[in-house]
Amino acid sequence: MELTATTFVNMLVLSSMYILVALGFAFLFSIMGILNFAHGVIYMVGGYICYQFAVEYGLNQWISLLLSVLIVASLGLFLEKFCFRPFFGNLNRTIVVSIGIIVVLENTVNILVGTSTRSLPAFIPGVLRVGATSLSAERLVTFIIGGALLAATIWFIRNTKPGQQMQAVSQNVEGAALQGISIHRVSALACVMACGLAAVAGCLMGAFLSLTPFMGDYMLVKALELVILGGIGSMGGIFFAGLIIGSLDATLPLFISGAASQAIALGIIITILLFRPQGFFGREAK
Amino acid sequence: MIDKHLSTIDRRRLVKPSAYGGLVIILFLLPLFIKSPYWLHIFIITFVFIIATVSLRTIVISGQFPLAHAAFMGIGAYASAVISKELGWSPWLTMLLGGLVATGIGVLIGYPFARLRALYYAMVSLFFGVGILQVFSVFQKWTGGYSGLMGIPRLLPAATSKLPYYYFFLGLTTICLLALYRFEFCRIGMALKAIAQSHQVASSVGINEARHRVLSLAVGCFFVGLAGAAYAHYNLTLSYTSFDMLATLWLFMYALIGGIGSFAGPIVGTAVLFIIPELFRGLKEFLPYLSAAILFIVVFAMPQGLVGLPQLVRLWFTELRKRVTHAS
Repeated sequence: MELTATTFVNMLVLSSMYILVALGFAFLFSIMGILNFAHGVIYMVGGYICYQFAVEYGLNQWISLLLSVLIVASLGLFLEKFCFRPFFGNLNRTIVVSIGIIVVLENTVNILVGTSTRSLPAFIPGVLRVGATSLSAERLVTFIIGGALLAATIWFIRNTKPGQQMQAVSQNVEGAALQGISIHRVSALACVMACGLAAVAGCLMGAFLSLTPFMGDYMLVKALELVILGGIGSMGGIFFAGLIIGSLDATLPLFISGAASQAIALGIIITILLFRPQGFFGREAK
Repeated sequence: MIDKHLSTIDRRRLVKPSAYGGLVIILFLLPLFIKSPYWLHIFIITFVFIIATVSLRTIVISGQFPLAHAAFMGIGAYASAVISKELGWSPWLTMLLGGLVATGIGVLIGYPFARLRALYYAMVSLFFGVGILQVFSVFQKWTGGYSGLMGIPRLLPAATSKLPYYYFFLGLTTICLLALYRFEFCRIGMALKAIAQSHQVASSVGINEARHRVLSLAVGCFFVGLAGAAYAHYNLTLSYTSFDMLATLWLFMYALIGGIGSFAGPIVGTAVLFIIPELFRGLKEFLPYLSAAILFIVVFAMPQGLVGLPQLVRLWFTELRKRVTHAS
């Protein structure tokens, strides 16, 4: 019973974190047409900035989370303006730029903090008891924050004017521009949101697992899996794929070792994609 | 007019091979001037990655973006290292076997993957590359798992310095590049380029798209597996993190920085990104910034990659001359 409850909570936590990162990646891909391989590193930097404020400078952890999100979001604004905008729609060159960003950010973290594993203290320490089962309060809080942010993002996209503009641009860039939507402003907004969401996920995962300079690679692969499996251009697909991959990652390690479970999860994903290349809810494969 | 046209073709036929030949001769004579084993090591690594990058381009000209290329290098390296270590076979034989194992796996995944195109192909092959490395770490008994594989037999047991290895890798690279060059400019290579431009048109003139794509994958995987295997028997230790997703992306960087549109591009890109940072070794932990700076400079200033630089310079000069004559 306790194992089932813990696994269920783990599944929810992993799914919500994966979806947070993947949603940002999908924004950048569908709105600006770039494959931002640096998204994992941005997530890692978010976690490290929070660590720096909370542990090294002794600030309140929630304030340092907020500061981290602000700093990473402004980094996103900078990246959009100077790195992605000059190559709008040119896939090859934006990949080169994103690798350059990976090198710069990863090396900066290595120099300033070092390559050893760090860990953020729990945001809310303690154990929650429900009847006979006990759950870590930390994980529940992580899931609640993740879920709330996701709901807020969906509401923003669906119901506000800038959000609808983002949708329009992701459907048809020229058409949106003809309607008087400023493409650059929309893509700047998308980049800021993507980086901010990644930073939140980085801080929460840093407390949930631990911080290493290479944690971004793992998350980047997860984000790619979610976006491709869910279907490019479909937000519901990302949620669906996130739940599937999150539950695979939460349950498979119970039965087999970590590396084998990763290999099996990837095998399942590849098999699904071979039969349905456009993902669950994707548009026609081009 | 016709004469002039012919003469340019003749000149090109002479100039290009003689330039490549001259380069090989210079590289052949280089150890006379460079005695430092460290620099020989850098050149050997550069040769290995030149084979890897050029074979990557062989797949890319067919319109596929395989984000698992470094994983195939790992497959070749691990296959050769494990076979020669466990069965005691000669590294010269297992090196070829390593290439063949990489080809076999490439063909096996090539057929089902041939139904995917563009981004979907790239992403599924990326997942394959990540997954195969996890498989390596599962078979810890043979591959050494996280701590890496050690005690791989030497390729040249009698060698006392890096010099024989330098000549071996120079020869290997020359042979591989000649083979890949012939492959690109033969009939099959032309068919591959046709598929990349439009697979519908290619199919309509009787080119079997799936078979050609698998063929290009097989050829690319063979050469990258061979390079990986040779590297394993030179380096003597293997860690599977050196074949991960980022390594594949770096192979793409070498090709894109040099200019993926031409055969010389990947060679130039690999050489520049390996050798220029080594000239500034004193920077120590700031060294990666230099690589990043090269990436940014090339991507912002040279849309064709480094190969397009002479053309770009010529363009700047004509612009400048025009402006000067205009001013006067």
